Amino acid sequence: CCCGRELFSWRLHSDIISTVEFNYSGDLLATGDKGGRVVIFQREQENKSRPHSRGEYNVYSTFQSHEPEFDYLKSLEIEEKINKIRWLPQQNAAHFLLSTNDKTIKLWKISERDKRAEGYNLKDEDGRLRDPFRITALRVPILKPMDLMVEASPRRIFANAHTYHINSISVNSDHETYLSADDLRINLWHLEITDRSFNIVDIKPANMEELTEVITAAEFHPHQCNVFVYSSSKGTIRLCDMRSSALCDRHSKFFEEPEDPSSRSFFSEIISSISDVKFSHSGRYMMTRDYLSVKVWDLNMESRPVETHQVHEYLRSKLCSLYENDCIFDKFECCWNGSDSAIMTGSYNNFFRMFDRDTRRDVTLEASRESSKPRASLKPRKVCTGGKRKKDEISVDSLDFNKKILHTAWHPADNVIAVAATNNLYIFQDKIN
Amino acid sequence: MEFKLEAHRIVSISLGKIYNSRVQRGGIKLHKNLLVSLVLRSARQVYLSDPCPGLYLAGPAGIPAPPPQQQPGEPAAGPPAGWGEPPPPAARASWPDTEPQPERPSVSHAPRVGDEVPVTTVTGVGDVLQGGEADATEAAWSRVERSRQAAAREAEGPAGGWGVFPEGSLAARRPCGCPLGGEDPPGTPATTPRTACCCAPRPAEDEPPAPPAVCPRKRGAAGVGGGPAGCPAPGSTPLKKPRRNLEQPPSGGEDDDAEEMETGNVANLISIFGSSFSGLLRKSPGGGREEEEGEESGPEAAEPGQICCDKPVLRDMNPWSTAIVAF
Repeated sequence: CCCGRELFSWRLHSDIISTVEFNYSGDLLATGDKGGRVVIFQREQENKSRPHSRGEYNVYSTFQSHEPEFDYLKSLEIEEKINKIRWLPQQNAAHFLLSTNDKTIKLWKISERDKRAEGYNLKDEDGRLRDPFRITALRVPILKPMDLMVEASPRRIFANAHTYHINSISVNSDHETYLSADDLRINLWHLEITDRSFNIVDIKPANMEELTEVITAAEFHPHQCNVFVYSSSKGTIRLCDMRSSALCDRHSKFFEEPEDPSSRSFFSEIISSISDVKFSHSGRYMMTRDYLSVKVWDLNMESRPVETHQVHEYLRSKLCSLYENDCIFDKFECCWNGSDSAIMTGSYNNFFRMFDRDTRRDVTLEASRESSKPRASLKPRKVCTGGKRKKDEISVDSLDFNKKILHTAWHPADNVIAVAATNNLYIFQDKIN
Repeated sequence: MEFKLEAHRIVSISLGKIYNSRVQRGGIKLHKNLLVSLVLRSARQVYLSDPCPGLYLAGPAGIPAPPPQQQPGEPAAGPPAGWGEPPPPAARASWPDTEPQPERPSVSHAPRVGDEVPVTTVTGVGDVLQGGEADATEAAWSRVERSRQAAAREAEGPAGGWGVFPEGSLAARRPCGCPLGGEDPPGTPATTPRTACCCAPRPAEDEPPAPPAVCPRKRGAAGVGGGPAGCPAPGSTPLKKPRRNLEQPPSGGEDDDAEEMETGNVANLISIFGSSFSGLLRKSPGGGREEEEGEESGPEAAEPGQICCDKPVLRDMNPWSTAIVAF
């Protein structure tokens, strides 16, 4: 439900957060930032002696995933910013995630170490090697508990497969393969194999002069391991079936909503560019985010979405200014809740929006230190578009366009959400009782 | 009229973005530049299709042209010269067709990242325009030139010489950045010469098909491709000569500046603007100075759009100078 949200925890990152992702159980929350760092938060177990800290998220591990690189051949600097993080389903005690910057995807293993071996024969407690001639007796080393240490180690590096900037990665439901998408191509990888990837979509025209659209996002179907979708800068979504051909340049389904000619402007093309596409957990729907709205599509109907939700329609008259200050190029993400009954996406002024699909209600909330006190409910916000501004409303012209919420994530089961506001991470939960 | 101003402003801003994208960390973003080029195309389309009284031109071939202005006031509606070759034949071909839609996807001036160094995509865009339809386009070109001459004759004074590009199609492909026409009422002295593009065929009274030969010469150092196929030999028209003379010294200076730029393509852009400044200086000292300042700050990449917004004088300024100021 959309109401009764309260601040759970708040963390300050050292850099602008560029991606937020819960793992499959929701116990871990990973964030990536512009500096190439990944911070993983872990939910505390319920503790009867500290009821208020139920399920708080605390830092679990921090590591540097990507470093800035320089492509000498092309005289290009490669940003270390983490574009996306995707968790792998957990198969053993360790956790695995994929993190990517513009060019390189890395598989990280995050594992705990809480025991340490002591009593080695060949080395001292402090690690110095012993002189073998001095050893007179043998013993079996024993494991002793130690302070929990969380280690992150790169297990695979998938590099040199993308000429353009990677915008998406998506783990397949087969848990063996994943896709990575850049502006013009989508590659299929096997998680174990780093020196080879298969190109499954290539929309680069023979003549770059004829380029009219780029790939903006791609995702595997949550259950059908042969199906994936990719969205374009033209506001279209293509669903592809890998069984039909090796190269999925031809789509199986093509989703496009006809443009409303009456709303045409200089910026019609920009605002129709899709910035994110997400399948519902059920796999029956998908959601797309363009600049002003989120749309829910039924995979069985290609002609138009089944729902359209306006995120900040009041910005339509400001498109020229937003073009000037580059805000019109902001890529907002969107997410489903665990039951697919609600969707969430961000906006400006640290506002984020939630839409309840069942009740058709929506709410605007704000993620800011001033308006969020621990265990105090978030107050719904309202943007005033007309002349008379009511109390507590904010006028469109007072919105702070530097405070944008591009990345949000919803716990896969509970009503806990993570909202990234620049370099602040807010975690909200539904009030209990 | 307001639409035209708006369109001009948007074109200026767009050009600024494309320019700035080259120096952004992480390389040129294909997606963003594609979108910017689409906006550029839309703005140009609107500009050309927004009727202005008294400026409608029909070419001798009976090709109706969208209201071309004599004022070369319009900021480079296409990628400025910096994008490579001077108006390529392919682009020209589209003009007489007078279609609202560009014949080619306008994205051509998206940086041609391809597999090559994104930094040089600006050049690539110029390459883009090599249609290879030279013959057809040359014929089309002559038609265009003739109609331009007709328009020129209608215009007053020097202003008339520059106006009309009866371009039907947007295509936003004006690599030389020649203004397509101005907003100012005909005969506004301040505007025309300033905007006269060295490269684009400039209709002057009685001139033969306009010589972009001026362009290669002007842009020499900046590395613009040689005269485009289809650019007829330069005629020395009375109008052209003085301009050339006048513009040469500054262009020399511009070239020097250009050589310091990262890539020659943007240098071309500056050269073109620079050449326009000379005209500006000549015709309107006050305005010229102002623009010159704007241009000099260009290479430092002043925040595009910011200056535009700040200057209240914008409304009265020739839109061409708007573009310059934006840079």
